[in-house]
Amino acid sequence: MSPVLARLLTRLYPRRWRERYGDEYEVLLETSPSDPLTLANVICSGIGERIFPTKGGAVEQASRTFRSLLGQPSAFVPLAMSVTALAMLLCDLAIYGVAHELAQTDEGTVAHLWQILMAGQLPIVAFFAIKWLPRAPKQAIAVVALQVAAVLASMAPVYFLGL
Amino acid sequence: MRSTQDVVYGGGAEPGHYSDPPLLVLASLAAGPKHGHAMIEDIAAMCGTRLGPGTLYGAIARLEQQGWIEPLPAEERRRPYRITTNGLRVLRAKLTTLQQFAQAGLGRLGDQEAQ
Repeated sequence: MSPVLARLLTRLYPRRWRERYGDEYEVLLETSPSDPLTLANVICSGIGERIFPTKGGAVEQASRTFRSLLGQPSAFVPLAMSVTALAMLLCDLAIYGVAHELAQTDEGTVAHLWQILMAGQLPIVAFFAIKWLPRAPKQAIAVVALQVAAVLASMAPVYFLGL
Repeated sequence: MRSTQDVVYGGGAEPGHYSDPPLLVLASLAAGPKHGHAMIEDIAAMCGTRLGPGTLYGAIARLEQQGWIEPLPAEERRRPYRITTNGLRVLRAKLTTLQQFAQAGLGRLGDQEAQ
C-alpha cells in the first residue's frame, strides 16, 4: 500500500490513538496489500475505534466534563431545536391566543414546523447516545436527560392546552 | 470489523479457521518479541489465520491496556511488543481451557466414529 494511502487510512483513527500507535500502524499498512478486504478491515476498525475507543492503558482519554459534552453539536443541536419549537409555539399563542389555535381547522405552519423540529432531533439524540454513552456514561446520561427534558418542555403546552 | 483471512492450503486440507485475535497475538509473542508485520506472518504460519491490520492493532491496544503485553523501544518506525508475566499466565490458562475443550470434543468424535 502506498505511504499516502496508509497515512490517509491512519487518519480515520482518533487523534489520541494516532499519537500512540499512528507511526507504527502506518508502517504496517505500507507493508500490507491494498486489497478490498484489507481496506475494509482498516476503515471499519478506524470507525469502530472512534465509536468504542480503547480506554486507559497507553491511550488515555481526555477527561470529559458535562460542559465539554454539551459543546458537541449532537448535544446542543437537539436542545436548540426543542427551544426553538417551544419559542415558536409560545409566540404563536401570544399573538393569536389559544382560542384561535383551537378554532383552526388546519394545524398551520407553526404546528408543522414544530413537528419537524421534534421529529428531526430524534436521530441526532440517538447518534449522541451511541457515540458518547460508552465513552463518558455519567456525563452523557446527564446530557440525554437534559435533551429529554427540553423535549418534554416543548410538548407540555401542546399536551396541557390540547392544541 | 474483525477481519481474518484463511491462508489457502493445497489439496483442500485446510487446518480450520481459528479467530481470537488477542489469544493469537499472545501466542505469537510467547515465542519472543515481534512487531506488527512479524506477528501477522507468524500467526498465519502458526494457524492459517491472517489478521487484518485493523484487527491486529485492535487486539494490541486492548492487550496493552490490560497489561498482558508491553511495547519495547521502537526500531526505526516499527515497534516490537513482548508478552508480560501476566500475559503468559493468561495465555497458559486460556490454552489449558482450549486443550480440555479440544480433548473433550475429539473424544466425542472418537466415540461417534467407533459406533
